[in-house]
Amino acid sequence: MAMIEFNQLNKYYGDFHALKDIDLKVNQGEVVVVIGPSGSGKSTLIRTINGLEGFSDGQLVVNGMDLSDKKADLNALRRDVGMVFQHFNLYDNKTVLENVMLAPRLVLKRDEAENKKIAMEYLKLVGLTDKVDSKPRQLSGGQKQRVAIARSLAMRPKVMLFDEPTSALDPEMIDDVLNVIKEIVHTTDMTMVVVTHEMGFAREVADRVVFVDGGRIVEDDPAEEFYNHPKEERARQFLSKIIVHK
Amino acid sequence: MSILSQAYSWINLKFLLAGLGVTIEVSLISIALSFAIGLILGIIRYVGFKYVSAAVGFVIDIVRNLPLLLIIFFTYFALPQTGLRMSAMSAAITALVVFESAMLAEIVRSGIIAVDPGQMEGARSTGMSYWQAMQHIILPQALLKMIPPLVSQFISLIKDTSLATIIVLPELLYRAQIIYGQDTRYMLPMYLMIAVMYFIVCYALSLVARRLEKRFG
Repeated sequence: MAMIEFNQLNKYYGDFHALKDIDLKVNQGEVVVVIGPSGSGKSTLIRTINGLEGFSDGQLVVNGMDLSDKKADLNALRRDVGMVFQHFNLYDNKTVLENVMLAPRLVLKRDEAENKKIAMEYLKLVGLTDKVDSKPRQLSGGQKQRVAIARSLAMRPKVMLFDEPTSALDPEMIDDVLNVIKEIVHTTDMTMVVVTHEMGFAREVADRVVFVDGGRIVEDDPAEEFYNHPKEERARQFLSKIIVHK
Repeated sequence: MSILSQAYSWINLKFLLAGLGVTIEVSLISIALSFAIGLILGIIRYVGFKYVSAAVGFVIDIVRNLPLLLIIFFTYFALPQTGLRMSAMSAAITALVVFESAMLAEIVRSGIIAVDPGQMEGARSTGMSYWQAMQHIILPQALLKMIPPLVSQFISLIKDTSLATIIVLPELLYRAQIIYGQDTRYMLPMYLMIAVMYFIVCYALSLVARRLEKRFG
């Protein structure tokens, strides 16, 4: 069953054609990694899934909700679709625990004791139970990102979106965050879309890899096939550059 | 020496302190009202409701670019000709609130703009509504950023209450003038005394603000 389905979707920023004829289907429980050069539109693509970006024409259905409908209830959609950002976007005025508990309290009206219990479970999962009373500015980048993951998970979403979750981190922090994401992949059947440049990680967790270039989906393959036998020249070039860097 | 002790006689000091009371009363009422109104206007300006925000912006631009003294004169001398007559106290407060609300609205708006847009995205991505995010995430952070300019504006307001001396509000400056009106040798001591009083009140306010910033910053 399709959890996310793009159908001939286009997006323009003024004259700039940011997303071109996007067709993409992500099934329930599938993990899809989106890669591509910077400026290719991969971030825009993932941000349309929870309605942070609108689109110009075409159709997008997420968790049964048609987002081309102007009256689509995006707040309701986002209860089921969590997002983790490149720059964390933790609430600077709240403690770690409050960051995790706020949305379940306001949006789901979850009972306070239950809310705290669940928040602590997820903070335990990301290894930060000793930081509950810290403010975001007291945390390292890697710790912030793990709190952000716990914050999203606490909503118990059906879909998780990761928009370059490790791109703003120091190298030694990256593994901590990737390990948490791997843990989620291996222990849940959440549908996930991950924009990342971490190729080893992508290979390990992805069911499929989508290669985006110039606002277009250039290649959409099972992960192994993509890495071993990329069909498109553009994808081959991109992969070779990344491998050279390693 | 005897001039000083005569100028600072107990009766004169009591008379001045009563004026300080009026200054503080007018200031506190004006600060409370203009902050509440400025907050609402600033949010309206920021959020961008059709027509309403533009209208609010238009009025703010007019008020901000008029001298406060003109607004005080207008309120006290011109409004009565339209049938709206006020005491000097009410007129002073009304004029201050009109003027300061416009100034504060812009401080509020720039404080909200200064909050990282990622904060709103983070909140919205968890399913919070725009106003929930505003209330719990954006405004608390914006208020903190606003403390320094707000305090400057409040200090200006306290000092500007002295303009109301012209409509015979019995505040600090007015009463100093009454006292040295009896004997011009009191002029210097009176100015010195009220300078000290204004300074203490305004400086105390900036100390409170500094503590607030430390506490929540």
